[in-house]
Amino acid sequence: MSGPHLDADHELRIAKAQRLLRDAAGGMHSRAFVNVGDVIPVDHEAGYLRGHGTQPVKEELLATVCGVVERVNKLVSVRPLRARYNAETGDVVVGRVTEVGGNRWKVDVNSRKDAELLLAAVNLPGGIQRRRTAIDELNMRDLYVENDLISAEVQSLHQDGSLHLHTRSLKYGKLRNGQLVRVAPYLIKRLKQHFHQLKDLGVDLILGCNGFIWISAASPGNKDNLPGSVATSASAVVGESPLQFEVRERICRLANSVRVLGALGLLISPDSIMQTYEASLLWEVPVKDMLSADFYVKLAEKEAEQRMKR
Amino acid sequence: MTTEYVSPEGLRLDGRRPHEMRHMHAVVGVVPSADGSALFHMGNTKVMAVVYGPHEVSNRTHQLHDRALVRCEYSMATFSTGERRRRGKTDRRSTELSLVIGQTMEAAIMTHLLPRTQIDIYVQVLQADGGTRAACINAASIALADAGIPMRDLVVSCAAGYLNSTPLLDLNYQEDSGGGPDLVVGYFPKLEKLSLLQMDSKVPIETFEKVLELATEGAKAVATFMREKLLENTKTLASARGHLKL
Amino acid sequence: MLSNKSFVRKTRHGKVVKVVREHYLRDDIACGALFCPTCDKSRAKLRDTALNIVVIDTNVALHQMDLLENEVMSDVVVLAVVLEEVKNKNLSIYNRLRTVIDNPLRHFFVFSNENHKDTYIKSLPTETPNDRNDRAIRVASQWYQHHLGAAKVLLLTNDNDNRRKAREDGIVAETVDSYVQTLGKPELLDLVARSDAMDVDVEDLRPNKKAVVYGEHKVMSEITAGLHNGRFHQGKLRVNRYNPFEAYVGSESVGEEILIHGRQDMNRAFDGDVVAVELLPQSSWVGSEVGKIADRDDEEEEEQVGLVPASADDAPREFKLEDGKKAAGRPTGRVVGIIKRNWRQYCGSIEPMKMPGGSGGTVQALFVSADRRIPKIRIQTRQIANLIDKRIMVSVDSWEPTSRYPNGHYVRTIGDIGDRATESDVLLIENDINSRPFSEAVLACLPPLPWSFSEEEHLKNHAHLKREDLRHIRIFSVDPPGCRDIDDALHCTPLPDGRFEVGVHIADVTNFVLPNLPLDVEASQRGTSVYMVERRIDMLPKPLTEDICSLRADVERLAFSCIWIMSSEAEIESVRFTKSVIKSCAALSYAEAQARMDDSRMMDGLTTDLRNMNRLAKIMRLRRIERGALTLASPEVKFEIDTETHDPLDVGMYQVREANMMVEEFMLAANMSVAGKILKEFPSCSLLRRHPEPTPQMFEPLLRTAAAVGVNLDISTSKALADSLDLAVGDDPYFNKLIRILATRCMTQAVYFCSGELSYPEYLHYGLAAPLYTHFTSPIRRYADVVVHRLLSAALGLSSLPEQLRDMPHLTSLSDNLNYRHRNAQMAGRASVELHTVIFFKKRPTDEEARIVKIRSNGFIVFIPKFGIEGPVYLVGKEAKGSSGSSNDGMWEVDDEHQIIRSTDGSRTFKVLNTVRIRIEVVEPQPNRQKLQLTLIM
Repeated sequence: MSGPHLDADHELRIAKAQRLLRDAAGGMHSRAFVNVGDVIPVDHEAGYLRGHGTQPVKEELLATVCGVVERVNKLVSVRPLRARYNAETGDVVVGRVTEVGGNRWKVDVNSRKDAELLLAAVNLPGGIQRRRTAIDELNMRDLYVENDLISAEVQSLHQDGSLHLHTRSLKYGKLRNGQLVRVAPYLIKRLKQHFHQLKDLGVDLILGCNGFIWISAASPGNKDNLPGSVATSASAVVGESPLQFEVRERICRLANSVRVLGALGLLISPDSIMQTYEASLLWEVPVKDMLSADFYVKLAEKEAEQRMKR
Repeated sequence: MTTEYVSPEGLRLDGRRPHEMRHMHAVVGVVPSADGSALFHMGNTKVMAVVYGPHEVSNRTHQLHDRALVRCEYSMATFSTGERRRRGKTDRRSTELSLVIGQTMEAAIMTHLLPRTQIDIYVQVLQADGGTRAACINAASIALADAGIPMRDLVVSCAAGYLNSTPLLDLNYQEDSGGGPDLVVGYFPKLEKLSLLQMDSKVPIETFEKVLELATEGAKAVATFMREKLLENTKTLASARGHLKL
Repeated sequence: MLSNKSFVRKTRHGKVVKVVREHYLRDDIACGALFCPTCDKSRAKLRDTALNIVVIDTNVALHQMDLLENEVMSDVVVLAVVLEEVKNKNLSIYNRLRTVIDNPLRHFFVFSNENHKDTYIKSLPTETPNDRNDRAIRVASQWYQHHLGAAKVLLLTNDNDNRRKAREDGIVAETVDSYVQTLGKPELLDLVARSDAMDVDVEDLRPNKKAVVYGEHKVMSEITAGLHNGRFHQGKLRVNRYNPFEAYVGSESVGEEILIHGRQDMNRAFDGDVVAVELLPQSSWVGSEVGKIADRDDEEEEEQVGLVPASADDAPREFKLEDGKKAAGRPTGRVVGIIKRNWRQYCGSIEPMKMPGGSGGTVQALFVSADRRIPKIRIQTRQIANLIDKRIMVSVDSWEPTSRYPNGHYVRTIGDIGDRATESDVLLIENDINSRPFSEAVLACLPPLPWSFSEEEHLKNHAHLKREDLRHIRIFSVDPPGCRDIDDALHCTPLPDGRFEVGVHIADVTNFVLPNLPLDVEASQRGTSVYMVERRIDMLPKPLTEDICSLRADVERLAFSCIWIMSSEAEIESVRFTKSVIKSCAALSYAEAQARMDDSRMMDGLTTDLRNMNRLAKIMRLRRIERGALTLASPEVKFEIDTETHDPLDVGMYQVREANMMVEEFMLAANMSVAGKILKEFPSCSLLRRHPEPTPQMFEPLLRTAAAVGVNLDISTSKALADSLDLAVGDDPYFNKLIRILATRCMTQAVYFCSGELSYPEYLHYGLAAPLYTHFTSPIRRYADVVVHRLLSAALGLSSLPEQLRDMPHLTSLSDNLNYRHRNAQMAGRASVELHTVIFFKKRPTDEEARIVKIRSNGFIVFIPKFGIEGPVYLVGKEAKGSSGSSNDGMWEVDDEHQIIRSTDGSRTFKVLNTVRIRIEVVEPQPNRQKLQLTLIM
């Protein structure tokens, strides 16, 4: 949770803001928070189903992680806040390729295990559908190499915890011309849309459910279409013009907004990002100072104020 | 001439009474880039623990098919003691402590829920003033909880000794050097079980029982403190984020 | 609340290290007043009825300890900062202060000001530690005034500066002198120590007119530097008991002892101080002149008449002369600084002087200590008339270079000079023997009286001790007449096959003296019972020594038994140890036992047992002598005391009969068996006894004397010595005994030690020729035996060994204390005998036969067998000394090699071991110093 280096004055203001946030949390039942080893109050007679983050000890149900208790019908589970990404089918994720070979790519998505992207799960260049051959396997490198950033969707979860991705859509694929910001996965709310186009800024935004956020320049050829088209290593456009300064600045500013939000632990959504972006413009904070203690604290206070109003 | 570790008025060298612990302080999440981290102070002993994981096992050959691999590394900063001294990570004390702390934490982590993964725990002593082992285990516990790794129970630890025929709780460096026994306890507060019991020097059994009891009591006090800090941290995080439902 | 103390320190290797320590400040520290409305009173001591609550500062605690120990000082607050400073500066004063504090009747309270949140202060940047502590004292006093009311609280300090600052802060402060005066007891002023550094209100502006008598001591830093580069040597000063102006400093760096000669060179050092010595140039080294009595000073001392020395420690020191050649001289030096003072309280009396007219005025007097190694001490007193004929106790304060004598102050009176009880008390004090009655806490540890053996209690309830019932065996004890503390009993049962079952049963003291109880702690500090001529100072309370533990006849008693199966030739076939209950059938005296054995008409079971034991004992003794055990004649002297006046009626040599030797033999055997058993079980923490072999140098005087009379002694081994002693027979029957007596003086002392400290060969007991030995047979009067009982009990698995006995450092310090106590008890016993000897001869000058044992340049030393005393006989009058530079007035010639002194005209010759007639009488050459004098009857 600590962002920039705070001196004594800042510490006081931050503490105050945090307290306000806590008190204004609204509807947060104190009993919803548990520590490791705390007893979770359950109605034994009514029966319950034990979910993640719990363990039965003698007659009681104990929490195994620090977090929030969630009850969905009869399912009782404890969700930790700062854990690694827990995938669910259909999530949009951004990941980095770590390994190539053996019919699949291994992708690091900030989860317990690296995700797998099978050769069969990608769209071949040209968009044709055919059976993958051995040649395709040898040509895997043409598609994605180690350290490439890709966007994908979670196809399935397996029993042993391994994760399978697919890029069976034009909107998924290799990512270029942008900046990656990593935040804690729990700050990203699962929404209908994860691909956002900020047209007036000329910037595209992908909010990966795993906490990887991709901010890039709007891809030139797809103003109407979805961004992030099937760009591959092979089809790197030669001679594509370098991005303009303003675009880059905006990308940076947005990226910093995301960083500050991440450091403060505030929910990250397109709205909140835009708000932060605008606030930084309003307060005339140069991009590089957005990560300073001042901005950090002011933002916290603003958020606290807003919450109080609600 | 024997040093008086407990004065006839019942005060120790630093002004505490025999059953009093040193002032404690903890900060959760000091290293944002790690999965879990914590800073733990017991008096002048300051320790930082950082947890990475669970993540893919770096060396395939070490992968365990049914549970997580827990690795722990203990080190002391060169500036942690009175005299600045460069310590390697392979000297005996470091290896011993790494093993001890690793085993203690492994007993708490529900490794079977995380097969084929690896959890790295790094513990570094920033300032050493007696009771480093206990502080390290406490810091590691908090860091693991911060990382959201499922555990059977928190592991809390405390040290106690016996000088001038009195059991003393939470020895500092001066008292530790006094030559009496030094007993460290790793305790599960909710399950009420011991995960670690280590002692150096010989004591008669009656003394041992007294000192063990005292150390356990001390551990319970640490547990209360740790719980408080963790809960506070959880609340802050959750409320910062706002609506918690997915 | 937490504060951090940080300071910078230099380590041993010279590195500078910053030390940071936590310092917790509390709010639960009580003020200690019983009448305080707010504080916790569970440990409060200060009373409402007190006139003043006195807060003392560090110097008052350090210098005015005698005043603080006096009952008039009560309701005193000792601050933690003061206590800490005292502990660091002077440990013995700290211990005394703690004793006073622990005594609830004195109402001293320790206030932990350093941890109280209101009275803790951090030192200011430019403040020295001393100033900071003084300020802490003032702050604490102020807090007390605020807390308890200004009217009551009083700060006591002799430091002018401190007093001034205190008054500025509004604290009521006074000097010790003025405070004592307000108490209205003028005699207390005597207790107030004078320090030359003490600030009197009127400053002495006159230039120092006094001449400097002694050299200034060097500063500590110079001394440390000097020790480092070898210019100075460090060691403990030991003053020659027979010549207080001669002292030795044992120094490892020089290799042998450094001689310090003369008052100037001793430079104000006392016996026992740790000093730094500078060697004099070799030309000044003292040579062989020191064969005779030193006569350099005007206050020379002479050799005294006293008991025959029982070991080398008791004998006057001698220098060896290299075959008549002038010795190269011993390293000689002078004291340049005192590293650690070893001052204690001294007993003695005031030197007679002119009485001042009138009384009540302060007078300066010189105190002469009973221990002749201590110089005279100057004290001031208002009650000179009361002290003049008394034995008093005095404590030393300081010794300035400008003063011939050290300054001290009076502590208390012991009694009249010459009064036997007083003199005995002086002996006890000087030998650090605790003769106070046992405290309540100690007596509470005794079982309720009357005690008797209960079968249920000991055999059934304590079955784990596996106590055997030996009440059916015919057990008896043999002890000196009138002995009531019987710790050993014997039995000897013939077995059908001609072998014997022999048992030694020792009183089971550890059954009643349990570890760490006050009774045990007191006994371990006393270490041993002390046997004076007219009284006995017990290590354990009388109910234990004379009744409950004592193996009296016809009562059932608990014992610890050592039982052997022996062949008819006294060879030990097996041994077993067990706790037991016995019933002694007879408590005989040595005379009675001997009479029974000798009376051929007596044929009863008891007498037969005695005879059997005697026979076995003789065989065992012979075997011991074969191995090389020494039989030396120790001329023990026994007094017959008048029951009413307690004056000695007669004195004579102790008679050793066969019965004595019989009991001794079995006691030795038991001790040796036990030693073997405990060492086997506890190889590193057994308490054993050893007798180191004397070095060849120690045998020098004996060999010289023997050679002079034509006896050849072989000192290579104890057996060789024993054999050659047996062969040393002369014409007169007493010859052999004399040689043995001379041999005794060469022996070292036997000492206790912890087995882990030394290796097996060093466990040897030279005198008994035993590889292993310990003390087991007298737990009633020796603490070492109590420890050995515990070790044996643990070795047999009957009980667990107490924690401290497993700890080697503790055992080592315990054996050091026991050796110290044993030595002191011996010295006290000897001194008591000497005292009674003087009393005996005071009324009866006697003529008696004596034997010459040593030749001196101005006379010889004689030994009087009947009384067991020896002393010098002068052939030359004292007046004749010094005039011609030699101590001989030219009438006598000395032949050192043949140990002969003859008159120049050849008329009279005296050779060593000759018989002469001597007159023994008591003279008083100096007032209050009576002594025995021996003169030759021509």
